[in-house]
Amino acid sequence: MNEDEFRRLCDFIYRRTGMVFTEARRYYVERRVTERRSATNTASFAAYFARLRRDLDGEVEQFINAFTVNETYFFREEHQLRCLSGDLLARRIEARPAGRPLRIWSVPCSTGEEPYSIAIWLLENWPMVDAFEIEIVGSDIDTRVIEAARAGHFGRRALMRLSEPLIAKYFEPEGPESWRIIAELRNSIDFTTVNLVDAAGMRAHGVFDVIFCRNVLIYFDDASRRIAAENLYDNLMPGGFLCLGHSESMSRISPLFDVCRYADAIVYQRPREPRHG
Amino acid sequence: MAEAEPIRSGRRVLVIDDASLVRLYYRQLLEDDGFVVEEALNGLEALEALLVGPFDLLIVDVNMPRMDGLTFLRTLRRLTSAAAAIPALVTSTEAAAQDREAARAAGANFYLVKPLEPEVLTLHARLMCGVPA
Amino acid sequence: MPLIRPKAAGAPASSPDPRTAPDVAALKAALQHGTPDARRAAARALAGVPEAAGLLAAALAGEEDIRVREAIFTGLAGLGTGECADLLLALLRSPDAGLRGGALDALAAMPARLPARLPALLRDDDPDVRLLACGLARVLASDEATALMCAVLEREAEPNVCAAAVDVLAELGEPQALPVLARCAARPGAPAFLVFATGIAMRRIRAASDRAGEAGA
Repeated sequence: MNEDEFRRLCDFIYRRTGMVFTEARRYYVERRVTERRSATNTASFAAYFARLRRDLDGEVEQFINAFTVNETYFFREEHQLRCLSGDLLARRIEARPAGRPLRIWSVPCSTGEEPYSIAIWLLENWPMVDAFEIEIVGSDIDTRVIEAARAGHFGRRALMRLSEPLIAKYFEPEGPESWRIIAELRNSIDFTTVNLVDAAGMRAHGVFDVIFCRNVLIYFDDASRRIAAENLYDNLMPGGFLCLGHSESMSRISPLFDVCRYADAIVYQRPREPRHG
Repeated sequence: MAEAEPIRSGRRVLVIDDASLVRLYYRQLLEDDGFVVEEALNGLEALEALLVGPFDLLIVDVNMPRMDGLTFLRTLRRLTSAAAAIPALVTSTEAAAQDREAARAAGANFYLVKPLEPEVLTLHARLMCGVPA
Repeated sequence: MPLIRPKAAGAPASSPDPRTAPDVAALKAALQHGTPDARRAAARALAGVPEAAGLLAAALAGEEDIRVREAIFTGLAGLGTGECADLLLALLRSPDAGLRGGALDALAAMPARLPARLPALLRDDDPDVRLLACGLARVLASDEATALMCAVLEREAEPNVCAAAVDVLAELGEPQALPVLARCAARPGAPAFLVFATGIAMRRIRAASDRAGEAGA
């Protein structure tokens, strides 16, 4: 892929998904294009680009999948979990009314790895964990994955980033390559279905201190992304935080949030005060 | 025999413009003149870039999606970080006196009307960064 | 264990639909006179009321909070009617760059309304409007956008409008734009930037199309 091909592809991907790739990531992009060309049996870059532009056989979604590695596992993007326990929750418990629980939302949560990871991470790594009540909600548009999340059965791949002591502590072995997350955790997380662009359904979930919304807005069209951003804003308390996936940025979607840089992650914050233009 | 390298000031410029060919044009001219260039496609991306890297100069377009250049400058000048004091050169297609005045009121230090001739861009970048012209 | 299962969350199916009988008069008052949060909430509620498009657009002029503005723009884009498109197009003439940009973003999110309106906009008397209109051509299919941008290049005298059209062609132009771009670059007195931009656009169009027809290359 030469410079001009790379630029043209990047322009298209930016408009369609909001993902940005700099020159430094050209090799990474090239690898994904090669994968997709081989999967679609496409002879040249130009022929593949034509296929992508026309979204033949859902190629845009396939292409995005190649970038997001469409599988979930425990402690994926651990730096955001470190940011949660290291910085975000400390901000959220400042001047907090007594008795109000901390609320964390994983949306979309797929088969539950992310909300269960948040629970395990906080129990293991947040020193204040016993001082607060914490509510964790996992939601997804797909009822089947929500059923799987509630059931809590996981294979070896999902657990690959967890140490043996953590597996022993939070999972029950069910077979040689199968574990079930312990009942205490299963019963402490609420799983619901929700559509990010449905204002009423979103509002019914109440407001949160922190929302994890990773690798989903890139699949949306422009109008849906804007509506999802408005809904997520309404689902955050003033001063609450939004965490996106690593190739995503709210700066390409909406000016509703302030960007914040912490040691382990860049996150977006609902401002405490209104902002003038 | 190698050609003489330009003296590299290493001054860091953030080019904020939604037109990809404008960004590329500025980048090539400024890099050839010894600057280090980064790019942002709108005002919000620029605010995000300013959290990560220090810059000596901002080159700011006016009409941009998500956050326009003047809203960006007003937001920038209200920041409490050192970024609030970075000089800003606005390059705009709008030539009327009221457009210049609006940019100055928003926090622009200098205003140039597009399209820019190469030497006009590099001369102003040097002057605004304190590099001998 | 400190984790507790929330009781109130979920049950989205049983939540009331905000579109059932919104009190437009009360929302209008809130939009005009409420706190920023109340104005934003009113804008979001009115986004479900097609007749409220004019009300929403009118509120933009005096609105300083960018979150309220954003809710209004998202609402107009979501309604997506021809009336909304016309209200947004009028804002392209605003002296406020924030309103122009917000209107462009919202228009880009309602592609169905643009093909009927863009040709006239690209021939507007105001070069600033013609320039902004070029960017909107990005939401059209690439053959349509190519045809419109080539027509702009053939008749346009203002270099910044030409540059905007060239930027679109660099992104999605098809090979039929190549001779038009070459003529644009060869104009006497063409500014350095326009010569540079047309050169890049031609290279990118060739990169995306030269070998498209070859099989097994």
